Amino acid sequence: MINLKINGKSIQAEPGKTILQVAKEHDVHVPTLCYHKDLSPTGNCRMCVVEVKGGRFLQAACVTPIWEGMEIETENEKVMKDRKLTLELMLANHPVDCMICDAAGKCELQDLAYEYQAQIPAWGTKGTRYPVNSDPNPFIRVDMNKCILCRRCVLACEEIQGRDVWGVAKRGFDEIIVAGAGVTMLEARCESCGQCVAFCPTGALSNKMNYGMARAHQVKKVATICSYCGVGCQFDLLVKNNKVIGVSSNPDAPVNGMALCVKGRYAYDYIHHPERLVKPRVRKYLLEGKRKSDIRDSIAEGRKPKVGLSNIESPWDWVEVEWDKALDIVAEKFAETRMKFGADSLGFLTSAKCLNEENYLMNKLARQVVGTNNIDHCARL
Amino acid sequence: MTNKKIVYHPIPPEIEILAGRHGNEPEAALELLKEIQTHPSALTTDSISDAARALKLPPHQLYGMATFYSMLSLGERKKVLRVCDGPVCWLKRATMDDGQQTIVQWSSKAGGQWSVERTSCLGLCDRAPAVLVEVEQAGPVEAEEAGKVCDGWRGTPTDYSEVRKGEVRVMTSLIGKIDPDSIEGAMANGIYDGLKKALQTNPDAILTEIETSGLQGRGGAGFPVGRKWRFVANEKRTPRYIICNADESEPLILKDRVLIDTNPHQLLEGMTIAGYASGASEAWIYIRGEYEYQARRLEIAIEQAESKNLLGGNILGSGFSFNIHVHRGAGAYICGEETALIESLEGKRGEPRLRPPYPPQFGFRGQPTAVNNVESFCAVPHIVKNGAEWWRSLTNAPTPGTKVYMVLGHIKNAGLFEAPFGLTLREIIEDFGGGMEKGSKFQFALCGGAAGTIVDKTMLDVPIDFASSQKGISLGAGSFLICDQSVSPVAFLREILHFFAAESCGKCTPCRVGTWRSLKILNRMAAGEGQKGDIDELKILAALMQDASFCGLGQSVAIPMKSVMEHFGKEFARAEGH
Amino acid sequence: MSNSMDDIANFAEAFFIIGSNTTEQHPVFGTMIRRAVRKRGAKLIVADPRKIDITEIATLHLRHRPGTDIALLNGLMYIILEKGMEDKAFIEERTEGFEEFKQTVMQYPPEKAAEITNVPVEKLYETAEILASCKPTAVLWAMGITQHIVGVRNVMDLANLQMLLGNMGKPGGGVNPLRGQNNVQGACDMGGLPNVYPAYQPVTSEEARDKFAKAWGATTEAKVGLTVTEMMPGILEGKIKSLYILGEDPIMSDPDTKHIRHCLEELDFLVLQEIFPSETSVYADVLLPGVTFAEKTGTFTNTERRVQLVRQAIPTQGDAKPDWWITSEIAKRLMERISDRVRKEAPYAGWGYKNTSEIMAEINTVTTSYGGITHARLEAGERLQWPCPTFDHPGTPILHTKQFTRGKGKFMPIDHVPPAEKPDDDFPMIMSTGRVLYHWHGGQMTRRAKGIMQVYGEALVEVNPDDATTLGLNGKNVVRITSRRGSIEAQAWVTDRVPPGMVYANFHFPEASANELTHASLDPVSKIPEYKVTAVKVEPV
Repeated sequence: MINLKINGKSIQAEPGKTILQVAKEHDVHVPTLCYHKDLSPTGNCRMCVVEVKGGRFLQAACVTPIWEGMEIETENEKVMKDRKLTLELMLANHPVDCMICDAAGKCELQDLAYEYQAQIPAWGTKGTRYPVNSDPNPFIRVDMNKCILCRRCVLACEEIQGRDVWGVAKRGFDEIIVAGAGVTMLEARCESCGQCVAFCPTGALSNKMNYGMARAHQVKKVATICSYCGVGCQFDLLVKNNKVIGVSSNPDAPVNGMALCVKGRYAYDYIHHPERLVKPRVRKYLLEGKRKSDIRDSIAEGRKPKVGLSNIESPWDWVEVEWDKALDIVAEKFAETRMKFGADSLGFLTSAKCLNEENYLMNKLARQVVGTNNIDHCARL
Repeated sequence: MTNKKIVYHPIPPEIEILAGRHGNEPEAALELLKEIQTHPSALTTDSISDAARALKLPPHQLYGMATFYSMLSLGERKKVLRVCDGPVCWLKRATMDDGQQTIVQWSSKAGGQWSVERTSCLGLCDRAPAVLVEVEQAGPVEAEEAGKVCDGWRGTPTDYSEVRKGEVRVMTSLIGKIDPDSIEGAMANGIYDGLKKALQTNPDAILTEIETSGLQGRGGAGFPVGRKWRFVANEKRTPRYIICNADESEPLILKDRVLIDTNPHQLLEGMTIAGYASGASEAWIYIRGEYEYQARRLEIAIEQAESKNLLGGNILGSGFSFNIHVHRGAGAYICGEETALIESLEGKRGEPRLRPPYPPQFGFRGQPTAVNNVESFCAVPHIVKNGAEWWRSLTNAPTPGTKVYMVLGHIKNAGLFEAPFGLTLREIIEDFGGGMEKGSKFQFALCGGAAGTIVDKTMLDVPIDFASSQKGISLGAGSFLICDQSVSPVAFLREILHFFAAESCGKCTPCRVGTWRSLKILNRMAAGEGQKGDIDELKILAALMQDASFCGLGQSVAIPMKSVMEHFGKEFARAEGH
Repeated sequence: MSNSMDDIANFAEAFFIIGSNTTEQHPVFGTMIRRAVRKRGAKLIVADPRKIDITEIATLHLRHRPGTDIALLNGLMYIILEKGMEDKAFIEERTEGFEEFKQTVMQYPPEKAAEITNVPVEKLYETAEILASCKPTAVLWAMGITQHIVGVRNVMDLANLQMLLGNMGKPGGGVNPLRGQNNVQGACDMGGLPNVYPAYQPVTSEEARDKFAKAWGATTEAKVGLTVTEMMPGILEGKIKSLYILGEDPIMSDPDTKHIRHCLEELDFLVLQEIFPSETSVYADVLLPGVTFAEKTGTFTNTERRVQLVRQAIPTQGDAKPDWWITSEIAKRLMERISDRVRKEAPYAGWGYKNTSEIMAEINTVTTSYGGITHARLEAGERLQWPCPTFDHPGTPILHTKQFTRGKGKFMPIDHVPPAEKPDDDFPMIMSTGRVLYHWHGGQMTRRAKGIMQVYGEALVEVNPDDATTLGLNGKNVVRITSRRGSIEAQAWVTDRVPPGMVYANFHFPEASANELTHASLDPVSKIPEYKVTAVKVEPV
């Protein structure tokens, strides 16, 4: 164990840890911006600087390892002044549009500006250097004016997604984050996983699909499991006014951490799609007491395949009914089939998209109520 | 990835061929980009992406490099004439404006097939005003002579064969006495005798000898050379590497160029001894891209040394093998920072790394690496040959050995000389520089290099060495720019900040924005449009950059800023509008 | 999967991915593998006819002919045995049937394997070297292995390989099929299969039948039921009269669409429970509106047997109802009409569930591996992978650590069998099918996601650049693909992802679904159709 002092308090810590890690363990708050626990620390932003006794310069807590006898000041005048000034250098060139920025309320830059009561300098570009919403990616909104060059997006793409879309171009004050060799994200082989958005501390990268739809505090987050593939990623559904307006990474997700794919993060809008079935439907012949065989010809006509999505709205007549009616018809027909042709004349296809509990019930329905083993699902397909 | 934006497109054969010549090694990225730039395909989004695929690197990495290094540029390219923007060249211009006019003048005279660009100091301060014609050094040349320059005229190189009064020549002792392109001449004058002696002793003894000599690194920081090698030698992992930092990009510094130009074998010998002592088998000379002439001279020297078995496998039957490669930079001051240099050598943007770990533990390719300056290596053979005691006996000053100095600006006899440590500014000006130019009165000097202190006459008699920066006058890499009464300290600082803003890598906030903002303020102050509070803001910015920057570049910007404002408070107050 | 995704990603020295487009089909697991390879330097061998994305970081890419997996594996195992690189101790202690298996493998010298698979002999040697030197190696596969008439044999041969190398029961090793659907594992675990009750208790087992007869008050005959691929033709044979389909779209997902349409046309009564009208709803008599995952609470089981809580986030839309409620209501009403069957006193005879947590409580009692998994534990943040038999059991991240389910692992002698459909003069090319990153299965959900459609809004068929030239596409981008069963027209995506002679199509778009062309040749055991090899003809339009 290593003995050191933080703000005069003696503590012990394991060797190999950084000042920031040790400070966190002892509830000493050190502000960070480019640092993220899931990414390699870079020490770029200099917000986490602290004073180490005997050092000529301030040290970035996120990357400086502790040593025996180290004495650290995390909040002395010099440190606080430098952090505030560093923030102001960022703010000078950052748009002053927090009122309408999508990131407000979850923006780490905004939080720090507030914490340090930073003054927005009169000088600076105020974020007029680059086009707003500059990339055609349908999911990710890019506004490099708001970028503070922390490079989390670059690291998220490189280290989490392993895709290397984002990179750093030019140098000095002109430095800018670019996709590929200065192309659009999709051309740079972006998989639209949105990892970069999830890690962006400001409004530079945001989600297009729900841009401007809700402030962070207006959103209810519900942790749940993705409904696409078998990996079983956990994420938060973002709910406002009883509507799912987005998906965000849940850092505590057991399988995936912050990572999600394009479907999990962005293909949620089917939930509120206008074509959703919201009322039971039965064919008219069932209400008229007819038999299917009686209307064979009109059915055949109605079923003729049409091109595209249109043929799912088959013209042979649907009638919307109440649940009781629909359920009674189903039960009546199944009972009739079973009586006439035996239990094995019924087949049950359960669903790999449904809950365990629901699959269990389908299995129970087939085997207990009906008495057949004719149950399967699309595992084979 | 199934996305229609990704169109099937095999790597064009010309790129395949170029990349293939480098064995498709990612480390060759910079070389490859330079080659593509001069190739008809030029550096475009497509050619960069194709090159990236050929090297199996992310396209952004190559694009990031193509937009990072000043000698690379996107798009179709004319022949380039780079006009030096360094402080000495600026002094030599009558206008001392911010440089825009110079570009206009050169452009109009050079003709349409030339693209004229400003460039940071070319390291040709002794030939100011200087330009780089494609990769050829020229100076002194004025804009009026542009036509001649484009036709092949290169001005006159400086001759250092004459020894100045008071000089003690060790590393420069063979200047003018040997043909630098002849190994026979070098060997006849004792070059490689140090290596031969070293190979007959054991590496540990060499380490001890260098440690005892007290040789300190000549790049500016003065870190003990022997200790650095010892760190590398103590690392268990192999391979270990030696890197010579010949990126000499700090304004006012030109000693490494002269050392290479006049005696390349001395450097190779020093590096080889370093390799032997620290157990390394391979070395790189990272030389700034603007020193193409010197790079070629080194390549010739390496070839000659290999032919004599002074480099290569089993050197002189000793069982020790050592190879040296020359790697050209592409225009980036930050690559003089050793970890940025290593990044650049690995085929990346030249951005400084986190430290620790330091290069002796985690250097090139993650292996133990010693990075030393050209001058440091050049001192080594003499120490090995003559012994640590001899080296210490060269001077009575606390710092052992000799140093190569440069004295520039408004003095009679500008240029380079070698002398022991502990000179005062007055001695440098009067004894070695021949005194101030006619009509010139000393006003201030920039000491060390662009990141050095700016001092007024109160500091003329302080002995200068690595420790004197505590007293307010820095040695740095040993250059002294002497300015007379005609130079506005405010405009001068603007030039210095212009350099740092142009060369900041952009990685950390204080340096990226701080240099830019400081330059903005100085621009208006120098233009007579200073505002109340400007000086305070400059001081605050300087303090922030010094305290909180990521690397030495940002940290040292404050040194000239603070010192000049301290010594010339009145001038600054006037510029602020008081 | 015998192992967990994170143990594979963290501890595998090498990955052998065969027949899985991991970065597109299990994208987040794909990124874990990318990380392991890029950051940790793990070796990666990908065997796939297509140059899928993950081959970019592969140590070796074996581009074998579709349908030659067994020859490839046997060839590799021949080399391992030839060089004595097998794990002799593991084979001795933990397995049986080795000698017989070895005789079969010895029929596949590398030269023969190379001839069948088109993978050069040197590459086979390099691969065997990596497999033998990297311990453990994790074997990963998906439908590229199973959707063949020899799917089960393919899987067995992969198990042979892992036993031969002694990679079973270790972190970073194992046999790891990546399950496609979010809850395909759970659907299987819960008895959604014709041969087993929940937790794989065979319907032919007296003990199991007895157990459920006691719990439910009724059970079935000791006779395996029909699979989906048997039910469809069963309709035409008059065996199946009524179908109750929960959230599936056989028109899009089953082989040989024309045939499926014909089958469904002949059905007496089809109940479809869905969230959207689908291609299949054209054939439905009753359409019951279920809900999406955002509108109900319950559990999904992922590919590594991890049971996780799905939480209701929004109210059900319109009159739509959770699927468990609908099924329960049907069951109740049906039980009233079939009054003589279920013994009402049985503890779980009834269907009066108020929520899914109550259903899980019932599952706990009849499903040993889920015996200790409750909503309350999951809600409290416990991370449970089955088997988890009791309420204080921590779950089981890795299977077979000490011994196999059956005791000793049995080596199975497996021979190469060529695919059912071979290219000929009329249908000279091979088509393989599958999904793409941006879409999901029949596309019901993803085709209704706006952004997805902007990036991938129409069916694309991958065609090799050489074939594009030979076929005279000349920049035209629509091709007609015809098999013995049907024809589709789709946009061609000219790309070297597919080798010459092969095209790759998906079944996300009804207007150009690959399943119009596929055939219903099934694996004799698993009844999985051979989607990966269809003989086709490709023409410019």
